[in-house]
Amino acid sequence: MTAFVLAFVVGALFALGTFLLLRRDLIRVVWGLAIVSQAANVYLLAIGGIVEGSFETVPVLAGHGEGAPETADPVVQALVLTAIVIGFGMTAFALVLSYRVYQEHDTLDASELGDRG
Amino acid sequence: VITQASAGTESLLVIAPMLVALVTAVVALLVGHRPRVREVVSLAGGLGYALSAAALAWYVVLAPDAPGIATYRVGGLEAPFGIVLVADGLSAFMLMMAATIALASIIFSRHYAAHSGPRTFYYPLFYFLLLGVSGAFLTGDLFNLFVWFEVMLMASYVFVAYYGGPRHTRAAFWYVALNLLASAVFLLGVGGIYATTGTLNMADLARRLADPTAYGIDPVPIVGLLALLLSVFAIKAGLVPFQFWIPTAYRAAPPPITALLVGATKKVGIYAIIRLSFTVFAGAQVGVALELPGTGIAVTGDSPLAFVGAVLFVMATASIAVGGLGAIGRESIEGVLAYSSIGQIGFIAIPVAIAATTASSELRRVAIAAALVYALNHTLAKGLLFLSVGAIRNAAGTSRLADLGGLAGRSPPLAVAFFVGSLALVGIPPLSGFFGKFLVFDAAARSGSAPILGLLLGGSLLTIAYTTRVWNRSFWGARTPAVDAADVDSVQVAVVLALALAIIAVGVGFEPVYRFAEAAADAALDAESYVDAVDPAGGETE
Repeated sequence: MTAFVLAFVVGALFALGTFLLLRRDLIRVVWGLAIVSQAANVYLLAIGGIVEGSFETVPVLAGHGEGAPETADPVVQALVLTAIVIGFGMTAFALVLSYRVYQEHDTLDASELGDRG
Repeated sequence: VITQASAGTESLLVIAPMLVALVTAVVALLVGHRPRVREVVSLAGGLGYALSAAALAWYVVLAPDAPGIATYRVGGLEAPFGIVLVADGLSAFMLMMAATIALASIIFSRHYAAHSGPRTFYYPLFYFLLLGVSGAFLTGDLFNLFVWFEVMLMASYVFVAYYGGPRHTRAAFWYVALNLLASAVFLLGVGGIYATTGTLNMADLARRLADPTAYGIDPVPIVGLLALLLSVFAIKAGLVPFQFWIPTAYRAAPPPITALLVGATKKVGIYAIIRLSFTVFAGAQVGVALELPGTGIAVTGDSPLAFVGAVLFVMATASIAVGGLGAIGRESIEGVLAYSSIGQIGFIAIPVAIAATTASSELRRVAIAAALVYALNHTLAKGLLFLSVGAIRNAAGTSRLADLGGLAGRSPPLAVAFFVGSLALVGIPPLSGFFGKFLVFDAAARSGSAPILGLLLGGSLLTIAYTTRVWNRSFWGARTPAVDAADVDSVQVAVVLALALAIIAVGVGFEPVYRFAEAAADAALDAESYVDAVDPAGGETE
């Protein structure tokens, strides 16, 4: 069930992100980029899924006396943490850049910006 | 413990180029408000970087008793749990290439940055860019590669937007948007590979993929995931159909930075393709059978390389055509050069594709060496030409072909250097470009494919056409008012002349350069030594 929901969320986020990326408004493009990178993060998290607990995955608790808890793969969590930080910084930069584009061109419409000059 | 003690110097040498770049970046940031100190620091950093890269290449690869490969374990953690930085022949070759163009570019910038833009951040950003490039060449971990890509990209974003005009902000926005999307795709590829194999360490990946049953993994998704990564690296390298950002971004960035982007950042894409395809994924046994519907053209093979080869052939062919034809009609010198670099990357990708599809290990080795030699020549020649554009724009205030003419009479040394660079691009002996072209043609001839030879020949003719056009329009002919008023900077001319000398030197003394390239090709193909050096215990802890 969890897997199904996660797969649906990842798919919906990618669809929404792609839709926004293809808009003419630069701010929507930035939103699209943010959503696509979040979709990639959710996808990464989904990989780590919660597995049956064993002391091999949490050696710290081996001498604790209790049973082994359910855990998620810590590696993907670390990856996602890094990716979130990078993605946050880059989204902020892209927003500032789109404001600078607006200052220079007085428009945020991609079709009015052109690509020459 | 014993190996660590004896390999102490080597292991420090592995990170030396990165340390130099990082320290210089930080120090340059701290002394940013004092122009004289800042320049001395950045110059010292450039020299230090080149020296450390040369020392690394010497001790790891070129010295008579060189080990061929050296590692640095970050935080002392053993592979595959910690991140391992690996310097082998391929990394050393790429680092030397980047160091050469970086040194030229930093000396050139010394005069360039002082004239324009927010001066304080130029040098720190330059070294952060270089740090990202070095990290990407040295890392032995797939996710770490992603991080170094981001370090490199963040600095380059700022450089594309550096002048802050309408053209620059616009170019930067699309450049950032494209690369953010590419980063998300990169993450998907990395995540998929982790889910498939359970590791991100490149050596561990190579080991697991070569023997999937022992590790209980199913390697089939690897081909699709490799396709994701390949598209990301193709964006960095600027292969068609991912070339569209190149002309605007290269024209927007300051010329010394464009020289670095074309000489180092682009080559990171090529390096990643070679490293992952040949060292990491070549050992995987996955049946590939792709057929283009309705044409009967099919790609079959028993390793992901068959797929990589086929895709690279298509992209490289399109790149040579688009780059060559696009370069002919441009209005400014850097426009021509930007399109030319799309075509030249195609010339580098063709031998890589040949290496990926051939069954002969000898041809595979020769073809990769050919790609590396061609990449070296492209870095030197295109770096020289972009720096010349910087000198011209600085002196005459324009680089539009319509406003230029008679530069040869105005500044003969600059003309000589530009001429050498153009000839190297065309591939005239005895310059480095001749050997690059010759080796690529040789690899194509050995693979026995007439269409590839024809393609290379056509691409070379286009190269002659557009270099001749630029030369005729800007250096010969009647002197225009802009050229008449031009005042060429002597430091900048000295730098391009030095690069011209380097091109001649590589051509005349080609033997050692080729041996270095062969060592690099051997390192790229020898997955076994790579795995042994990084992770001799095979991931088993006592």
